[in-house]
Amino acid sequence: MIKRSFIGLTTPRLKCDLVEPGPREPEMIPMPPRLILLLDEALDSTKERCIRRGDTAKKGERLFLYKESTRYVTAPTSGTITSIASFTGDFGKNATYLVLEKDGKDEPTEDISAFADVPDLASADGALRSLPGAPPLELLASPDSTIKKIVISGMDSDLMSTTRQYLAAKCMDDIRDGIEILKNMTGITDIHMAIPENLAQLSAFQGMNTIKLSGEYIATLPQMIMKKHLGIEPVAGSTCEAQGVCFMSIEAVLSMARSYKDKTPVFDKIVSVIGKDGVTRRVKAFIGTPIHRILSQLGLETQEMDRIIIGGPLKGFSAYTLYHPVQPDMDTIILQDREEIPGVSDYPCINCGKCVRICPAGVPVNLLVRYLEAGLYQEAVDNFDLDACIDCGLCSYVCTAKMPIFQYIRLGKHEQLMLEAEMETEAENA
Amino acid sequence: MHKQNKFTVSHAPFWHDGDSIGETNLNIMVAALPAIIFGVIQFGMIALGVICLAISSAMAWEALFQFISKKSINIGDYNAAVIGMLTGMMLPATAPWWVVIIGTLVAVVLGQQVFGGIGANPFNPAVIGIAVLSLSWKNYFDFDAALLSYQFDFTALAPLGALDHQGASAATLFSNSSLLMGNQVGAIGSVFGLGLILGGIYLIIRGYIRWEICVSYIAGIVITALLFQMSNPEAYAGPMFHLFTGYTLLAVFFLAPESSSSPVNFIPMIIYGIMGGVMTILIRNIGAYADGTIYAILIINLINPVIDMIRPKALGKGVNNA
Repeated sequence: MIKRSFIGLTTPRLKCDLVEPGPREPEMIPMPPRLILLLDEALDSTKERCIRRGDTAKKGERLFLYKESTRYVTAPTSGTITSIASFTGDFGKNATYLVLEKDGKDEPTEDISAFADVPDLASADGALRSLPGAPPLELLASPDSTIKKIVISGMDSDLMSTTRQYLAAKCMDDIRDGIEILKNMTGITDIHMAIPENLAQLSAFQGMNTIKLSGEYIATLPQMIMKKHLGIEPVAGSTCEAQGVCFMSIEAVLSMARSYKDKTPVFDKIVSVIGKDGVTRRVKAFIGTPIHRILSQLGLETQEMDRIIIGGPLKGFSAYTLYHPVQPDMDTIILQDREEIPGVSDYPCINCGKCVRICPAGVPVNLLVRYLEAGLYQEAVDNFDLDACIDCGLCSYVCTAKMPIFQYIRLGKHEQLMLEAEMETEAENA
Repeated sequence: MHKQNKFTVSHAPFWHDGDSIGETNLNIMVAALPAIIFGVIQFGMIALGVICLAISSAMAWEALFQFISKKSINIGDYNAAVIGMLTGMMLPATAPWWVVIIGTLVAVVLGQQVFGGIGANPFNPAVIGIAVLSLSWKNYFDFDAALLSYQFDFTALAPLGALDHQGASAATLFSNSSLLMGNQVGAIGSVFGLGLILGGIYLIIRGYIRWEICVSYIAGIVITALLFQMSNPEAYAGPMFHLFTGYTLLAVFFLAPESSSSPVNFIPMIIYGIMGGVMTILIRNIGAYADGTIYAILIINLINPVIDMIRPKALGKGVNNA
């Protein structure tokens, strides 16, 4: 954990970890007997289910929960669905766990190579959404998509993680192929590659549109890349996607390239695992592998009350079970010892101003948080720039009063969205 | 399935820079130590008694109020200790015990707790305490009278009192260097200018106070005092005299930058500081009080919420909808 320096005159500058020179090959985690697939759709007993316990699935088969579902997960191997359960995420958002017990045959589904001949967007969206790196195919394939630029991110989205940098350093040829496929598929030629400026293999990226990022955390945030390198001023309350810029992980491009080359979807994902000793180990695991498989193979132990961080120390989330599976967008697992966990307090804001000085979006956090505490979300948006927040988490990191500011902000945004949706339905009904 | 551990689940971020309210307050107390130690050497153990009583009574008042109002008792964050310490530093060494206790009662309870406790006070609590005391028992703040029994080996006159009575000629009685080294009559924690400056610089470097406020406060004092002196050198003392006397340096580094009653944005901090300096000199030179610092602080505290509305546009707020 990076602590405050003795000299506190300037705002702290958090640096992202950089991939080590000459990185080792990742350790392969064998496919476990049971895979856990997380489907981003809630269980609903009123709808007619497509999959039931005991159903079989083949490798590469898309699993839809209901007949009318548009979301799917792809089975990484052939096997039997042995359990379907509900999963609750942040703000009570529900998803569904499917447990797939492999039969060892690894039998591919018949329609698996349908997408592979001509790389077109619709067929790719129909089959490759849950590739490692989670390519934003749904967004790109959507008929009202306004995406004009794509930024492929070779820089990790949070501190400590080095998964994407590792791939940027290692897999040059596949990246070029992937970009070609992406260009042909989407017709978008304005593709940029964001990489750390001191990457050893920088010369390999010659001829590409590169965005060189300093290792500074703030500079790696999508809105900051848009503002600084693409010359697009982010609009408060809007997303990068709505402004025509799509950010995707380098791993998504790589796995697309590999899938088209092998004519079958790939399911092995690179994950950086950081133990309590702070040492980064890199593993290659199948999507759906429960975390405990990875930890036990690496010899990492967890204790009661430790924290399992998925994503990163500033923007990630914490898992409540070791059965949480490896997911397409999961770059990092961090184990935090219970002694290392900084607490939060119920103190009010003492107006020290550290958050205001560190906020990259210029949000008056000291005032905003008072409104959020009181649940006045509309005022928070109207007068105190809640919608300008770019979710970097730095305000909570520096808060002297140890307030959970970022949590208030996320809750505020969530409530505001609900409120707006409610108002829209009311207007429609009227 | 084997028995599972229970893990800590909470929201991002999972890191913290390790700062806390308690640590901030401890640092403020450490920064005030040179000035307090000098005050104790200058005025004897009775000064230490005043400071200790002020700190302990302030903490007791806070604990009592939090107990009565059924809030959790948080005296361990040294918030009340700092308020008590600053109140004590602004008192003469001979202040009777009941003045100290009333001072901290007003400071902690009226100055902060009634507004909702830490972070909610619109004014600097210690300044509220001293303002009430100096209005109610004026005599104890006549430092010449309060310290009559002392034998000093320097001009035993409160510099600002002398200035008020004798005009600018009084300023010639004191040299800037001796004022800076604490050779003056005054409150326990305000006489040793060098100590306050060192403490202030420590706090600025550690990032516990905002340098913009300190620098602009000093600029406000210097510019205003200089203008007065230029207009009539007979009647008005120079900027350095004002800077090193009375509560000025205490105000610059400890009172004005109090976090909850001061602004956080750059331009407001500059306005706030300069206003403080200007008001201090205006009250001293034109107003009725010999030392206007207390009222200057209260006035800038009052305008703080209004001027802190001047803030930069947030990201993406400056453009028309693209």
